[in-house]
Amino acid sequence: MSEYSEFVRQYLTVAIFAAVGIGLGAGLLGLGRIFRPVRPQEQKYLVYESGVDPVGTGWSQSQIRYYIYALLFVMFDVEAVFLFPWATRLEAYSTFGLIEMLIFVVILALGLLYAWRKKVLRWV
Amino acid sequence: MFGLLVAQNIAFYVIAALIVFGALRVVTCKNLVHAALWLVLVLAGVAGQYILLAAEFVAVTQVLVYLGAIVVLFLFGIMLTRAKTGHDLELDNPTPAKVGAGVIGVLLLGVMGYALWDAWRGQELGDIVVQRTAEVSDSLFSTYLLPFEVISVLLLAALIGAIVLARRD
Amino acid sequence: MLAHLASFAWDAPSVDLHALAPEIVVAATLVVVLVIDAFTGEEQRWAASSVAGIGLLVALVPVATLAYDGATRVMFGGGYVVDDYALVLKALFLLSGYVVVLLSTNYIAEGDYWEGEYYQLLLASVLGMMVMASARDLISIFVALELLSIPAYMLAAWRKRDLKSDEAGVKYYLMGVFASAVMLYGMSVIYGYTGSTLLAEIAPRIGELVTSEPIITLGIVFVLIGFGFKVSAVPFHTWAPDTYEGAPTPVTAFLAVASKAAGFVALLNLIYVGFWGRHDVYEPLMWVLAALTMTIGNLIALRQTNVVRMLAYSGIAQAGYILAPLAIAGSSPEAADQALHSIVVYLLIYAAMNLGAFAVVMAVARKTRSAEIDTFGGLFSYAPGLTVAMSLFLFSLAGVPPAAGWFAKIGIFQALASAGDTSGYVLAVVVAVNSVIAFAYYGRLMRVMWMDDVPDGDTTPIRVPTSITAALVITAAVTLVIGVVPGVLTHFTDPINLLALGR
Repeated sequence: MSEYSEFVRQYLTVAIFAAVGIGLGAGLLGLGRIFRPVRPQEQKYLVYESGVDPVGTGWSQSQIRYYIYALLFVMFDVEAVFLFPWATRLEAYSTFGLIEMLIFVVILALGLLYAWRKKVLRWV
Repeated sequence: MFGLLVAQNIAFYVIAALIVFGALRVVTCKNLVHAALWLVLVLAGVAGQYILLAAEFVAVTQVLVYLGAIVVLFLFGIMLTRAKTGHDLELDNPTPAKVGAGVIGVLLLGVMGYALWDAWRGQELGDIVVQRTAEVSDSLFSTYLLPFEVISVLLLAALIGAIVLARRD
Repeated sequence: MLAHLASFAWDAPSVDLHALAPEIVVAATLVVVLVIDAFTGEEQRWAASSVAGIGLLVALVPVATLAYDGATRVMFGGGYVVDDYALVLKALFLLSGYVVVLLSTNYIAEGDYWEGEYYQLLLASVLGMMVMASARDLISIFVALELLSIPAYMLAAWRKRDLKSDEAGVKYYLMGVFASAVMLYGMSVIYGYTGSTLLAEIAPRIGELVTSEPIITLGIVFVLIGFGFKVSAVPFHTWAPDTYEGAPTPVTAFLAVASKAAGFVALLNLIYVGFWGRHDVYEPLMWVLAALTMTIGNLIALRQTNVVRMLAYSGIAQAGYILAPLAIAGSSPEAADQALHSIVVYLLIYAAMNLGAFAVVMAVARKTRSAEIDTFGGLFSYAPGLTVAMSLFLFSLAGVPPAAGWFAKIGIFQALASAGDTSGYVLAVVVAVNSVIAFAYYGRLMRVMWMDDVPDGDTTPIRVPTSITAALVITAAVTLVIGVVPGVLTHFTDPINLLALGR
């Protein structure tokens, strides 16, 4: 049990930090709400954008090209997840692990090669 | 030792309540973007439960992939559609569909909940073994070596297909 | 900490490269197609289809050497098995992949499609099926399922400017991932109960009880339902007709044959190796699914006016026949053996006859630009060769000798009878009744082809491209040869054995 309790205690620190962070933000905003005077005016509810009046709504359709970047990001994010466990046992696996990981990474890198050659990375 | 178990139980129920609340908000929320953000709470809660189970690697993966990538992809997807992303009342299903979904949901909850309760009632969770990332790695590089390599082809194929379908040409 | 790390040992798994050679060849072909596609211009586009086809045929070489060697190769603690069963099915996937490449060559080159990528995804999907044939582990099965499905979802939507194709892709995708989610939940429950992902270790844990526990029943039912979607068993078939109609026709052929066969392979692996002891759970489920699938598939097929949709529903009905032996598989080791052989034989014959039927539909559609049944009117007067070929495939689908289908169907009846109990006999009667119903719609298409007038009086002959001719020759030859000399097929299927227990 001691190993587990040590483990959870480490994450308790994380939880406390998160709680303090959220509490600080929420507390300060709450304090402000208590002390500030409330005089609603329509102008005050406009979105502030460099002092210029905003045009249209904040919600609008965005370009499909962003999506391909998001996809590439997800793919290499997953790749990174698989790199971590390998890294913890790098020495134990030596060449075997290196070869297996190279196969994995090279096949994934082909995706990047594909995207590059097919000019989807270019922003025109 | 007793204190730890109690603390663990309290943490479990608090996180579980947050997950259920977040999940309900995901489906009842009238704003798609907000629904995606509530999903963050659900997924983060699940990561918290993994930590309580001492499955560190799975928890980190949950945060990296789900919170970091999948939700971002969700938000991108929502912004790419032509649908109104703001407050949208037409997002709702008609009442019969809602009732049907509710009935099926409760039924599934009953069946799955009963099966789980029946299988593990009265059993105490023994000593929780801390699952080290190195152990995950060992099974990844022995028992699950083949699926691991296959995943690279899977990701490659998914990327190529998605680029073809998503690109403007 | 470091001392602790050093304390647990890790042994490098023995990787048998010979056993993995077919998969490696297919993966390498994918890489070659990708590199060629990335570094050559518009004029080398044809290369993708040739390289993909050659790669699939080359992969048959290690399959043959492994079969000649004959040894059962077990890797990764039993998670990956290369035996006669796996090899026969790998050959099936490679050959049907090759025929689909033949069918695609002209279709994809002539339309405004992404050619290189099309073959890359096709190869990835075939690779997933080959992994599935050997997978004896929940994780491998899941990864193989995703690898064979995800490219298929996207291939279904390949004509992306066509709304029907988009609909096909989206419907297939949504139903597919939903099924995956249900299946994953079932797998997680089974893993939670047994503490292992290896099917061979799951079997004794869930089979030791006299009657099933709710949690085991839940897990098994969820996993099997997940694959029920894949093989389009009623009531999980709703995606199939729309997807088959909207997807590019070669992709439809691929989904209807290879993808469905992969679903059955997964079912066989799971039931025979993992869930063997729990026949009180899977038998009733399979009985109901089989009876519903063949009956509803056939009844709706009767009312179709589009050949592709008709073939889709006929494929659903055929899936019902293939499911039927699973409903009695657990009654005795002999019945299990019969059931396994009848299913594998049916899958092989079904692949040949159904791919052939799709090849004819594609050849005719090149002229008529339609797949409505009426447009087949008077086909015999201007395309006698295609008419004879189509008749052969329809005879086979209906189970009329000398086309191969009769042998497949006899196998199903034998398996159902071998159980020697009422449920087997009743299901055999259901199969028989359904075979008679099926005559109606196969016969109608036959009558239209041979007897009706040409609808628009245009009797210019159809020019069939070489690749489709090759596909037709292969499938027709296989259908006819197996129909006349079934021994050719049973020579390969007889040594198959999948039972983990009782042997």
